[in-house]
Amino acid sequence: MEHIPALELKNITKKFGSIVANNNVSLSAEKGEILAILGENGSGKTTLMNMISGIYFPDSGQIFINGKEVVISSPKDAFDNGVGMIHQHFKLVDVLTAAENIVLGLDGRFNLKSAVKEVASIAGKYGFDIDPLKKIYEMSVSEKQTVEIIKVLYRNADILILDEPTAVLTPQETDKLFDVLRRMKDEGKTIIIITHKLHEVLSLSDRVAVLRKGEYICTIKTSEANESVLTEAMVGKKISLNIERAEPKDPVDRLIVQDLLCLNREGTPVLQDVSFTARSGEILGIAGIAGSGQRELLEAIAGLQHISSGEITYIDPKTDKHENLRDKTPVQIRQLGVRLSFVPEDRLGMGLVGNMDIVDNMMLRSYGKGKSVFLKRKEPRDLANEIISSLEVVTPSASTPVRRLSGGNVQKVLVGREIASTPTVLMAAYPVRGLDINSSYMIYNLLNQQKSNGVAVIFVGEDLDVLVELCDRIMIIGSGRIAGIVDGRTSTKEQIGLLMTKNVKTHTEKGTEDVSQ
Amino acid sequence: MTGNNTNKVKDPLLHIIKRGSIVWWKSALIRVVAILIALVVVALITLVITGQNPIEMYKAMIDGAIGNELRIWNLLQDTALLLVVGLALTLSFKMRFWNIGGQGQIIMGAIAATACMKFLPGKVPDFALYLIMIASALIAGAIWALVPGLFKAFLNTNETLFTLMMNYIALNFAAFLTFRWSKNSGNNVIGILNRKTHAGWFPDIGGEGFVGRSFLLNILIVFVMMLIVFVYLKYSKHGYEISVVGESEKTARYIGINVKKVIIRTVIISGAICGLAGLILVSGVHHTLTTDIEGGRGFTAIIVSWMAHFNPLYMALTSFLIVFLEKGAIQVASSPALNLDDNFANIVTGIIILFIIGCEFFINYKIVFRKRKGGAS
Amino acid sequence: MKKVLSVILMLAMVFSLCIALASCNSEDNKPQESQNPDQSAAPVESESKEEGQDEELKFGFIYLHDQNSTYDRNFMDGAKAACEKLGVTYLEKVPIPEGNECYEAAADLVNQGCSLIFADSFGHEEFLIQAAEEFPDVEFCHATGTQAHTEELPNFHNAFASIYEGRYLAGIAAGMKLNEMIENGDFTAEEAKIGYVGAYTYAEVISGYTSFFLGARSVCPTATMEVQFTGSWYDETAEKTAAETLIQRGCKLISQHADSMGAPTACEDAGVPDISYNGSTAEACPNTFIVSSRINWEPYFEYIIDCVKNGKDIDTDWTGTLETESVVLTEVNEKAAAEGTVEAIEEAKAKLQNGEINVFDVSTFTVTVTEDKNVNATVDDEGHLTGYQADVDTDEAFQGDTEVVKDGAFLESEYRSAPYFDIQIDGIELLNAMF
Repeated sequence: MEHIPALELKNITKKFGSIVANNNVSLSAEKGEILAILGENGSGKTTLMNMISGIYFPDSGQIFINGKEVVISSPKDAFDNGVGMIHQHFKLVDVLTAAENIVLGLDGRFNLKSAVKEVASIAGKYGFDIDPLKKIYEMSVSEKQTVEIIKVLYRNADILILDEPTAVLTPQETDKLFDVLRRMKDEGKTIIIITHKLHEVLSLSDRVAVLRKGEYICTIKTSEANESVLTEAMVGKKISLNIERAEPKDPVDRLIVQDLLCLNREGTPVLQDVSFTARSGEILGIAGIAGSGQRELLEAIAGLQHISSGEITYIDPKTDKHENLRDKTPVQIRQLGVRLSFVPEDRLGMGLVGNMDIVDNMMLRSYGKGKSVFLKRKEPRDLANEIISSLEVVTPSASTPVRRLSGGNVQKVLVGREIASTPTVLMAAYPVRGLDINSSYMIYNLLNQQKSNGVAVIFVGEDLDVLVELCDRIMIIGSGRIAGIVDGRTSTKEQIGLLMTKNVKTHTEKGTEDVSQ
Repeated sequence: MTGNNTNKVKDPLLHIIKRGSIVWWKSALIRVVAILIALVVVALITLVITGQNPIEMYKAMIDGAIGNELRIWNLLQDTALLLVVGLALTLSFKMRFWNIGGQGQIIMGAIAATACMKFLPGKVPDFALYLIMIASALIAGAIWALVPGLFKAFLNTNETLFTLMMNYIALNFAAFLTFRWSKNSGNNVIGILNRKTHAGWFPDIGGEGFVGRSFLLNILIVFVMMLIVFVYLKYSKHGYEISVVGESEKTARYIGINVKKVIIRTVIISGAICGLAGLILVSGVHHTLTTDIEGGRGFTAIIVSWMAHFNPLYMALTSFLIVFLEKGAIQVASSPALNLDDNFANIVTGIIILFIIGCEFFINYKIVFRKRKGGAS
Repeated sequence: MKKVLSVILMLAMVFSLCIALASCNSEDNKPQESQNPDQSAAPVESESKEEGQDEELKFGFIYLHDQNSTYDRNFMDGAKAACEKLGVTYLEKVPIPEGNECYEAAADLVNQGCSLIFADSFGHEEFLIQAAEEFPDVEFCHATGTQAHTEELPNFHNAFASIYEGRYLAGIAAGMKLNEMIENGDFTAEEAKIGYVGAYTYAEVISGYTSFFLGARSVCPTATMEVQFTGSWYDETAEKTAAETLIQRGCKLISQHADSMGAPTACEDAGVPDISYNGSTAEACPNTFIVSSRINWEPYFEYIIDCVKNGKDIDTDWTGTLETESVVLTEVNEKAAAEGTVEAIEEAKAKLQNGEINVFDVSTFTVTVTEDKNVNATVDDEGHLTGYQADVDTDEAFQGDTEVVKDGAFLESEYRSAPYFDIQIDGIELLNAMF
């Protein structure tokens, strides 16, 4: 009758300063099972898994593997105990081959040839598609992920932990990965997958353990769960997951991009033949694999990227005047009266200054106004307080450095500032990345609000489910080219996924693009 | 570790944990404790290595720094001289422009002031002499910083190496000039300039009876400079731009700051303040030019600036601390009762500063010792 | 803001600790070394301390470097010995650069009650003069300086010694060694070249190497000399490199006028005989050190202490000599020196003292006058010096102002104590004269 789980955690607690990342967490995973760890960003999922894989060491609590208590104080200890983790950020050496990366760090002598053979056999067994002799820098994101997984299997791990493995994958790649994981499960491995995407949990896992704010909430059998049950467990309250999509109100052309060509430093095109129109009162979504030119496109419009050829025309809503934005600096664009707001992907590295407080970050765009040599902090302070109260920013005060805020609050500050300047064009790159559900929906609402105010919204997203729910039109970009523009109301995410990978072949053949940014 | 003898992996004894933030009195306490520990360590080292009485040594240090009114004025003046260089460097550092060329910029300012004092008296009226002297010292310092600044802005060269190299040029230029302008053929000593006329000297403040008369003006200039730099960095648009460029050039470009312009403008100001330091050294203190007139301040001020976390007001305290130790060290080396030389005195200073800088670690991080596990189930 | 506050608090604590300790210090009241600053917190222009009163005499010394510099060490040893001998309190300030720090150190010493202050480096001079003007009741003495006789301050004095005589005697030891090596067949007489490491092309150095060379040539007539300058009074690496360069250029014997162990070590490494300066380097260089000349400052210190104690005037320019035992030679290292060196030196010394020989006898050397070399000199057909306008009263154009050749000799240290012989004589080649 005695039942021994493959992995059992008892009363694990981990604190970072005054922040409790995990508090008394206890859970277990069985042999031959896929356990999903579900929780919002900041709920402590990754920290918990890092303690099993030897990155962190728990302040208190015990870890049992196959019924035996173990102490894991380094990744090596973890491997010795059969635990392997595939991190969100890959830890691979670019100039080495897959096989070399896999054997890297192992003790003792090894035979590369036999390693290659073994890698091939592992790949065959689980259905991976991989060339052991291919260099990492020639690989796509999903291939790199495969290398990471094989690396763990090569070390005979019986417990595999995957941290948000689907974040960087297309729907098709995700399906492939899930197939592999299921096969591993059938082989008797224990799979733990960290995620916050509900549909993945439901389609893949056997059981779901839910964490919220560092606390263990419950474990539910997937067969007995549904989206709303899981959301409620995760968020702590019932929330509606519907994005309201209003019909665009008399859309007119606001921004016309024609035949855009941008080159990178090496002289290869990062954007090519890009033409589209953004209209007032609608949300134009941009979908694509990360690094396909989304960033360059937005920066080209914002005056931050040199344009080799092509035109960007802005049509003033009041005067109907056509302004050419090509080769203008951000300041010149502002001086033309173009009210262009831009929420960049890199929030703390570009949109905000991490070490400055909220007030000073509010001034970033406006500090130069007026002739005085001194700063006027009154208006930005009022704005900061307004944003804090209206967007429910959780912060000790307006004079807290923004790097101390959580990801969601940082984003609220940034979006809040960009919207405060009453833009006519609003560009947002991955605005909900890393945000919890509540914050994400708040951002969606803000975008919708802007849309109803007649703003032309350009939204670069990664979650196809959201794109098809939120956007009026979706433009798919692949390898710097437009792969298609579809209607958000009628298209499915599978269609979009196919368009996303349409250009991928040419893209990997070139092998120059660094997809993982 | 109950019933767990089969387990060969050891619990780590301690963990290092980053602190989120720290209450001000705790960080103050850590610093005080660090200084106290440093004093104890120095005492032990003194006792073990030299056999001298450490208490006597500390007494000598304190005596050397604040032993009488004259020494106190001296201490304040040297604090000011170090502080002004720290202020200059801080402007660059805030922008993440690692200007370690303070030495060269000070020397160039000093050279310019010396040239004015040597060649202009008698040729121009007094007030003009002062104006030209101030302007040329500031410009000389600024140019010495501008050259690496231009290269940084337009070619993105490494400013650390560049400013460092500029030091050697300035230093050798000064050596050349002390030879050229030397009073006795070949001895490389220029001697006090205008000793009789005091042309180009900063005036004394207060009468004969006032000990601080020749120090006060230098101290006041730097004090005002400190307030200006503080306000400039914290409340001016320029200061704001410096912070943004320093924190993230990407952000600066995103909001349309002309990064090149900010770099160039800031290094000019930074160099000019170093030039001011050179001016004070020549016109306010030494009234001559020597190759070691800069006194290592261009480098010491780096510590001053960092220890103060680039806060100009806080820097007054860090430079005070360092000068206090330096002044104390001279007295230690000069005390016949203590058989300690200059080198040992510098070791003492070094250890104390090391502890003060080192304690920053404990302000940013916390060390947690592994608690023994209680009886497991 | 809190950070600032915290540091203020911290410093306040440190400061109060300092004050607490400082007050302990004054309570302690040790009679000797804690010469109490607190008492003199009164005006700096301390009430005049009449000389010769009961009050204990305090003698303050200002040194450029600490005792690790042979130059300063030479002064320190003499100072401590003189003070101990005459029962005077010894105070020192070290290391004091050649800037306003010297004035500040002097003022501080006055503050501590010194009535006699001495500084040891050339560059200290003007700052000491500044102090002398401010504190007319305190006597200021300065070694190697040139301005006392023009400054006309009653309480400022220069001092030096006729070290050229010591150099000359050391030169004799060098010439003997060269002769010995020639006899041994190590090299020919024509190859007898001496190498000299100098600091600057300054009169003190020129006078030094010239007298050394004349001493050597009085014994070894074929000797020639090359001089390499370092541009610094103390730069161990540069001095070592300079000595090595000279040895490579074929110099058979090295001497130096620079203060580090650089040249002696280079000689010991290369096995080339060395005549040192400022003190014996026999311990570090047992195989190559021959002899060293130095100035013994103790007689001067005793002299000025005596003057202050008894209310006598101190000479404006005091020149120590062989008689006053200010110019001395270390013991000859028999292992490296040629046979008979000690006797030869003794003989020459006696002749110098009775005036039979004069180091700068114009008949012993020739001078070439060109447009930019030795412009202040006049020579006869054979090149012997007939007149020289020396720059005794220092001015910025280095104008010669005093005729110093009289009765067939160049009168060194006659018109002021510091040397002014800066003629480039034939037979000595300057390899670099940039400093």
